[in-house]
Amino acid sequence: MRAQVFHRWIGAALCLSLGWWMWRGLIVSADPSLFGPAAYYVANTASDTGASNIVAAILFDYRGFDTFGEATVIYTTVCGVAMLFAKRRLRRSSWGLSPIVKRGMGMMVPFILVYASSIVIMGHITPGGGFQGGAVFATVTVLFCVIYGSKFEASRISPKVKEVIESSGALLFAAVGLWGLAEGAGFLANLDAGFSSGPIGSLFSGGAIPLLNIAVGMKVGAGLSTLFYSMIKILEDPAEGPPPEV
Amino acid sequence: MIHVSYGCAIAIFCIGLYTLITKRNLFKTVIGLSIMEGGVLLFMVASGFIPEAGPPLLPMVGGSVNPLPHTFPLTAIVIGASDVALALAYIIKIHRHYGTVDVDKIRGLRG
Repeated sequence: MRAQVFHRWIGAALCLSLGWWMWRGLIVSADPSLFGPAAYYVANTASDTGASNIVAAILFDYRGFDTFGEATVIYTTVCGVAMLFAKRRLRRSSWGLSPIVKRGMGMMVPFILVYASSIVIMGHITPGGGFQGGAVFATVTVLFCVIYGSKFEASRISPKVKEVIESSGALLFAAVGLWGLAEGAGFLANLDAGFSSGPIGSLFSGGAIPLLNIAVGMKVGAGLSTLFYSMIKILEDPAEGPPPEV
Repeated sequence: MIHVSYGCAIAIFCIGLYTLITKRNLFKTVIGLSIMEGGVLLFMVASGFIPEAGPPLLPMVGGSVNPLPHTFPLTAIVIGASDVALALAYIIKIHRHYGTVDVDKIRGLRG
């Protein structure tokens, strides 16, 4: 017990001194301004990519290869978690919440889906994009798991379908990249590779950026929901009692 | 005022680090890791701030904040979620195997 308290005090002292050290080392520019690559991106996004959202342009055009790598990390994680919990089959899931909650959820689902798709599809003209929209898509399946029980969720959106969606997202991303290579403009090239851009601010602008947004949205949505499902299916006890009287 | 954001980020990072090094429960360790990640992301987003500048969207009114530090957290959040998920998966496996999530009690090879 004494040793544990001692350990805690040492930890607290270490963290406090580290925090003080970082605070002292902080250099805040008195008059911050754009410099380096950021200034170039802000000045040239319109002519280089045709997208209005500069963050999306950096993510899917200037640094598209980086994003491709990040998307691979999600894929690897999903493979790892699904592999760790592969053997257990879900015999019976939880019984879900009360009918009032189920009805309310049923009314909300279409709106959440519309919201998520608008975030993904308009990712190049408004703040948003594939990562955020995919996370909202995954929220729908997580809510299904919590409110209706994970067996219902698995019967409506089977894990196989999610797998296909995720893989096709990755393939779409790679195909857009390889198209640039085939056109002789380099991997994940955008306007140089012949993707046309409409007027800035319209839905069909930004060349390949909307396509890549959709690909990442499919990957993230399906990936996060697979992660949640793989983990919840082993946490729910099959030997649980009968459904509660509602 | 930007000092408040930086101070918050450093405080959150240190709280996460304290959780990471003093707790024996593996679940709490992972929570500490995720708190530390939140501090780092907050620091990155705050570092792009420019006073009296708008968001980096194209009909731009009076300059924009630095878009580059907004890009990295976007992917880092998803990466953080995935590595927390993988860590939790391993902890669940460890709990099934050893019957405990206390790092001090997980000893030796079993099974």
